[in-house]
Amino acid sequence: MAILWPCLPTRALADQSTSAGSTSPLANAEASPNDINGEQMFATTCGFCHQDGGRAAGRGPKLSKTERSDEFIVERIKKGKLGSMPAFGSVFSDGQIIAILAYIRGLDD
Amino acid sequence: MALRAGYLGGCAALAVAALLTAPPAQAQDAAALNAEAAQNDWATHHGTYKSYHYSGLEQINAGNVKNLEVAWMHFPERATRGLQSTPLAVNGVLYYSGSYSRVYALDGATGKTIWTYAPELDEELVAKQTHSPYNRGIAIGQGNLYVGTVDGRVIAVDLKTGKPNWDTKLLDSKKVTVGFTGAPLVVKDMLIIGAQGGEWPGRGPIFGLDTKTGQKKWQFDTVAGTEEAMATWGNDSWRTGGGGGWMPGAYDPETNSVWWGTANPAPLYDWSGADWKKSGPRPGDNLYTTSVIALDPDTGKLKFYHQELPHDAWDFDSAVGEFVMIDRGGKKLVVHANKSGYVFVYDRSNAKIENVWALVKNINFVKGIDPKTGELIGRRDLVAGKADTPLCPAIAGGISWNSGAYSPKTGLYYKIGQEWCMELTVEKTTPILEPMAQLNIGAQFKLVPPPDGPAMGHLDARDPVSGTKKWEVNYKEPPLASVLATAGNLVFVPDAEGVVHAYNAESGQELWSHNNGMGHNAGIISYMAGGKQYIAVPAGWGSLVSDEYIALYGEPFKSMSKNTGALVVFALKQ
Repeated sequence: MAILWPCLPTRALADQSTSAGSTSPLANAEASPNDINGEQMFATTCGFCHQDGGRAAGRGPKLSKTERSDEFIVERIKKGKLGSMPAFGSVFSDGQIIAILAYIRGLDD
Repeated sequence: MALRAGYLGGCAALAVAALLTAPPAQAQDAAALNAEAAQNDWATHHGTYKSYHYSGLEQINAGNVKNLEVAWMHFPERATRGLQSTPLAVNGVLYYSGSYSRVYALDGATGKTIWTYAPELDEELVAKQTHSPYNRGIAIGQGNLYVGTVDGRVIAVDLKTGKPNWDTKLLDSKKVTVGFTGAPLVVKDMLIIGAQGGEWPGRGPIFGLDTKTGQKKWQFDTVAGTEEAMATWGNDSWRTGGGGGWMPGAYDPETNSVWWGTANPAPLYDWSGADWKKSGPRPGDNLYTTSVIALDPDTGKLKFYHQELPHDAWDFDSAVGEFVMIDRGGKKLVVHANKSGYVFVYDRSNAKIENVWALVKNINFVKGIDPKTGELIGRRDLVAGKADTPLCPAIAGGISWNSGAYSPKTGLYYKIGQEWCMELTVEKTTPILEPMAQLNIGAQFKLVPPPDGPAMGHLDARDPVSGTKKWEVNYKEPPLASVLATAGNLVFVPDAEGVVHAYNAESGQELWSHNNGMGHNAGIISYMAGGKQYIAVPAGWGSLVSDEYIALYGEPFKSMSKNTGALVVFALKQ
């Protein structure tokens, strides 16, 4: 079963307020994917290993144009890979994970 | 001192027997710990408090190193992310740690297992951590072996039996994400250890514990740990944290000061540009991140400090870098390498700058650092968006976390430099304050070669105070392990491809090499057991920096085994 995700305006949200007192992304746990900035989340956490915003291999593999299925990517984000990638299943909400997936699917090379 | 039991008799043999069976606490005498050279024992992470990574043993020397061969090996269980620790050796027994803070005590001459200890860790937590489950070292003293864990504990194990004597929980790692991976340091009856930090929302504490009971005696927060420091984090940005002291420091008994290096603030990258004192995610200097600090080991009180990079906006920690204590020209100095590729030379009594010199060629995060004051000249403070030219060095640093070596015999400091840069796009991110948040980077980046050629590494032999270079050996890929110098006029470098090299300490000429079959990102030591000198190095690839090598270099790293390792011990052929 494919995961359905809407066409998300990830870049459009990049300029939102980021003052020190603003809300943590984790406080958005119940927000819908449409309201979550996948690009920003990627830059905060995922980009440490998946370089150039996921467009290039680094510590982790290149993600743009990946042939992995939606189910595989979501599962990998949730469960991680021992010795390589942390499990984010209890860190990110389903909505946040889908926003990250949407960001990955929208990547050019 | 080389002893051959066959030549000894009567009282001499008894004396040697007494020496070899001395209780562990006795072996930790202050004079040996504060000597320039480690002799029969390698009793503390950096060899001795002077942190030379230098062995006074010379049985193995430039004349006979060609006869060095594998004496024995040990294979640890669950070597996830390879082996990253520096072994210790006391009274002919070799001790080392592997991933999941598993500890092994082995007969130093034969490799026979004496005991092992495997703490039960919070595996669910470990699965959520990025900088885990490796361990980078242990400490020994007062009859115990001490090891930190990634789930926030420090454990004391009886040196003779391997049974735990105490187990102290210091960090709520489920909340702050991080735990302990660095080696502790024993100072008198105090055990000192720094938490991981840098990328996570925490105060980056360093702790002092009673070695006998494990009771916490003090805590120093490297993020806003004093009122003075709190004022350097605008808009309460200390709450996003960072800092920490994830590699062990050193002790100067003359001033009763523990020197420790601290990690970067979070987020790693900042979009405020030149206005960083007033705007951006963490306005101000962000004390005491990316600093060297001197603490009173008895109280944890800050005595003095120097912030190597005020408002570090490039992830160039001071947590890397051993504290090489050198007396020269009537001055008592300490030499400390920063991740940026610069080496700082301080007055040991007050952390005043004596000199600053660059180990690496490709640096553009500043135009320079004033060698008289330490002031950054021509800072390159980034703004949101793609940087116009790559940032040098890259996030992996001009200098990585393993240690160099200093030989008092040659007067040379042997240190690995790394030449690489990275394309960078700084992204405005939302502050991370919540529990169990993973990383706070603030950028997209990609490692690229520097302008002057391919990404590479080099071993430099330099004067540690002036930085004057005597010789250099180049490597296609930067070695990531520690360096060992010996009184046998040798320098050992375990490299990234898996080869251990021995060089003439005066000239840099390669005299011997051996392929261990997998990359090194651990510490190499020398010790004596049964009257014979040994060289011990853990092999086993898998650190976060080494993970970059597949994209940078392809083979042999693409096919190199990860999550495995072996301790390899060398001795001269009989």
